Amino acid sequence: MALTEAGPLALTSGDSDTVYKPAGVFTRPKSGATGWKSWLTTVDHKKIGIMYGAAALFFFIIGGVEALLIRVQLWAPRGTLLSADQYNQVFTMHGTTMIFLVVMPIGAAFANYLMPLQIGARDVAYPRINAFSFWAFLFGGVFLNSSWLLGGGADGGWFNYAPNNGVIFSPTHGIDFWNLGLIITGVASLAGAVNLIVTVLNMRAPGMTLMKMPIFTWMTLVTQFLLLFAIPVLTAAQILLMMDRLFDANFFNVAKGANPLLWEHLFWIFGHPEVYLMILPAFGIVSEILPTFARKPIFGYPFIVFSGIAIGFMGWGVWAHHMFVSGIGPISVTTFALTTMFIAVPTGVKILNWTATMWGGKLSFTSPMLFSIGLVTMFTIGGLSGVTHSVAPADTQQTDTYYIVAHFHYVLFGGAFFGFMAGFYFYWPKVFGYLLNEKLGKANFWLMLLGFNLTFAPMHILGLQGMSRRIYTYDAGYGFELWNKVATIGAFTLASSIALFIFNIFYSKSKAKNLPAPGADPWDARTIEWMIPSPTPEYNFDPIPTVSRVDDFWYRKYGETKDGKLVRIAATDDVVQKLSDGKHIHLPSPSYWPIVLAFGMPIAAYGLIFNLWLALVGAIIIVGGLYGWVLEPPDDPEASHDDDGTDTHASGGGDAAVTGTSESADQSNELDPAKEAETVG
Amino acid sequence: MPRRSLTVRILQVVTLLVVTFLFAALVAAAFFNDGKPLTTLSPSGPSSDSIQKLVVPVFAIAGVVFLLVEGAVLLISWKFRAKDEDDPEEFPEQVHGRTFLEIGWTILPALILAGVAVGTVMTIIDLNREEPDSINVQVAGQQWWWQYKYDVNNDGNFDGPEDIVTATEMVIPAGRPIQVTTTSNDVIHSFWIPGLNGKRDAVPGLRNPLKLEADEPGVYRGQCTEFCGLSHANMRMLVRAVPTGDYDAWVRNQLKDHSAEPTDPKAIEGKKTWLALCAQCHVIKGVNDVKAKTTPVPLVAGVAPDLTHLMTRGTFAGSIFNLYDPTDPDDPSVLLPAGDVASAGNPGAALTGGAVVTANVNRVTLEAWLRNAPAMKPMYPQGGRGMPNLALTEDQIDQLVAYLETLN
Repeated sequence: MALTEAGPLALTSGDSDTVYKPAGVFTRPKSGATGWKSWLTTVDHKKIGIMYGAAALFFFIIGGVEALLIRVQLWAPRGTLLSADQYNQVFTMHGTTMIFLVVMPIGAAFANYLMPLQIGARDVAYPRINAFSFWAFLFGGVFLNSSWLLGGGADGGWFNYAPNNGVIFSPTHGIDFWNLGLIITGVASLAGAVNLIVTVLNMRAPGMTLMKMPIFTWMTLVTQFLLLFAIPVLTAAQILLMMDRLFDANFFNVAKGANPLLWEHLFWIFGHPEVYLMILPAFGIVSEILPTFARKPIFGYPFIVFSGIAIGFMGWGVWAHHMFVSGIGPISVTTFALTTMFIAVPTGVKILNWTATMWGGKLSFTSPMLFSIGLVTMFTIGGLSGVTHSVAPADTQQTDTYYIVAHFHYVLFGGAFFGFMAGFYFYWPKVFGYLLNEKLGKANFWLMLLGFNLTFAPMHILGLQGMSRRIYTYDAGYGFELWNKVATIGAFTLASSIALFIFNIFYSKSKAKNLPAPGADPWDARTIEWMIPSPTPEYNFDPIPTVSRVDDFWYRKYGETKDGKLVRIAATDDVVQKLSDGKHIHLPSPSYWPIVLAFGMPIAAYGLIFNLWLALVGAIIIVGGLYGWVLEPPDDPEASHDDDGTDTHASGGGDAAVTGTSESADQSNELDPAKEAETVG
Repeated sequence: MPRRSLTVRILQVVTLLVVTFLFAALVAAAFFNDGKPLTTLSPSGPSSDSIQKLVVPVFAIAGVVFLLVEGAVLLISWKFRAKDEDDPEEFPEQVHGRTFLEIGWTILPALILAGVAVGTVMTIIDLNREEPDSINVQVAGQQWWWQYKYDVNNDGNFDGPEDIVTATEMVIPAGRPIQVTTTSNDVIHSFWIPGLNGKRDAVPGLRNPLKLEADEPGVYRGQCTEFCGLSHANMRMLVRAVPTGDYDAWVRNQLKDHSAEPTDPKAIEGKKTWLALCAQCHVIKGVNDVKAKTTPVPLVAGVAPDLTHLMTRGTFAGSIFNLYDPTDPDDPSVLLPAGDVASAGNPGAALTGGAVVTANVNRVTLEAWLRNAPAMKPMYPQGGRGMPNLALTEDQIDQLVAYLETLN
């Protein structure tokens, strides 16, 4: 909160000639700059969201290639593409990459980009911390993957059980990279969680009470609370492991009296909430898309919201269902079997509410709608197989077989990733200003549905008929050949659907010149992010709208009669905001320091592995980064905006036409979130 | 509505047909468990059977829910699809929710699950009930094989002189309950004989219980199911259920040692090699009761397979190779792993201490193993985890096999 009032560092904007600087104070980079340099110093939640998405898709390709290597190895008995050692590294890095560097950051990408728009904020609460989160994630991910070039990847599985994760059993540095890399991405997640929670709680547009928030924002809030409490548990476990591996401590040394189940408990106390925080953002996305294309409201908004919250709470009481066979005793097994069964209830509620949303609607099967229905149908399969794990005696047969692999891919690919694909197709015009080609999009969907099911459905029967997980080879004579071949064919089909998606991005971009711009509201959508121009202007809203109900934008376009009939009350063009020059809007200034601070962390981590002097260099960069960050002036001195204490929104325009539901747009002058953000971020 | 594309339509129909056919084929496949030695769907003992009795109705319920939900989504998608002739400004009825419906579909699944919970708890109790008159066996996992200790005199101690130590294969009497205790000498493993019961992790420092019982004599295969490092995939196990009389004979034979000198000159030479090299890690009771302390790289697990009665087993090296009934009959030079043949290396009369029929021994594979074990199964001998390449000469290998063949 410091540094805003009079004092040696108070760089009052527009008044730069009276300032003197102590050592280490740099002016902030120019705002409004473009080109690649502007991305390095940006604190704009939209650019950060796009970078999260792009980085995640890059890691997705790495993780996808690893998946294809696995499938080729298992095509036939006694596969020879990979050695046992290579295979163990590949499946470990596949799981780690897909979870920590793909699904979580895509969730973060949507949360970063969309959530501030959905609540009518200028930016997140702490814009520089937001930039820091992204860079820490990216550097952590690159650090983790650099292990491939520095002696091999981690080979202990993504769950990395003790004591197999110790130096005796894994003498290469792979697990050190895994450990330190995930500590770094954990810092990123934690900083992001605090940031987004504060944003949702403090920076909503006037009138937007919690129960008027869009469901995606609700799910983001629940997700960030899960991250806030789950990540520290993993980080604590990883610091213990780091002590063991790098400094000969004995936290997991059985010979010195350690109980290796400690790691399992810590890992899954993190690991199960982790599952929910990966799926909830996708649930939020489809909860926005289904009503849009059914042309009726979400069925039971409070039930969807509260079931999400219920999942967020109950998700903490089910971790030991990952440990039914580890010897925790029949009482614990029974307890966790029952809690696991009943977490299916709020999840089932969501499925049924989505189905009821579609019932009676007027469904148009656009690409986002198809992917959303894909989530509903495919996640249902994952949910049902999940219930069979809660039947603990059955789980003693199924756990650590391919049945589990099938289950969680139906949850994480069929659930989370289908939801993300829906979100990509839905929000692409808002983010990039052009629509993705619908024909390619539909082909993309059907090909992905085909490839996905061919890959993962056979794994159910493979597991039930005894194929163990994490095996680099299997013999003829076990009856595994047929379904492994089907799965490998499916994996390549799935890969081709991803290739089609990437092709669609570039194809649609090249065709976009000749097509009419999508405009603010290409889907006739419901929530307020659709009332601003596409692509989103840097300042988001001008003016900040006042919200009076759920789906506020929809009810600016349409009114509802008492008997549930919908009538148009305003033309979309009159309701949406026009592009303004945004000159009068005070936005947070870019900063050099988030990327510097984040860069220090992998340097320190390399140092911990290879040479402690290098760790010292990393530590100096971190401390220097913090120093620069703290002393940085609050503004780019050349940023021009009215500094009379109240940014004016007079030129906004659009809201004048709003009728009926929202009337007092100019009240928003009293609450300018960007102003708040600036002083604290 | 954009113009419909024929390509997309074809892709859609193909996908829906293929996926429907795929699901149907998968359900059908669950009923064909012949030739699938690790299947969980064809129980051969009381514990696996009570799991099966619980699983089948749960799968049935899940199947019904699956059909209802997926059917409803597909039907709704068809019935309420927007049509080209629709007026885009005409909207469906704006339903915001129906509280009683939503409470209904919160309570209904909870009730179904409560029913499943009752069955689950009863089965858990059943699986944990202690059986009278069971045989106590301690199963210890280590990279990448299994050790079995039988408490023959039932004094609660597995290491007495009256007790049995063996490896790789577990011999049990059919129709009699076995109380297994799992543990580990290095990392976490998981002991799993799907035909007989679910799995139980073998955790270093812990003693976890598991009941096993086979209804009929036969060979029941298993696979380590907790990732345990390099050769996790090659860490298999095998339960040989035999008639009670054979079991008693097997126990009597296992209690003997091999202090008598071999007679065959090759075997005499082989024993010298054994004492010089193999005895650094392995034990033959009556020959080197305690392994020598000269191991160049100490074993992390502290123990290698006890080979006193090697030839009573049908498989070796973590049950991945057959010790008997060896090679491809058409080409004896081709090594066949255990999973390739229906029979799991039948030791014949040698199982209970009878003579070894040397013509049936899988010499090709055994020699290859002695020539360079890490080439046959990924191991990490330089770190004390697994068997090293001992750089034996062909003569030494020949003599050593002759000696090993006497270990009935």
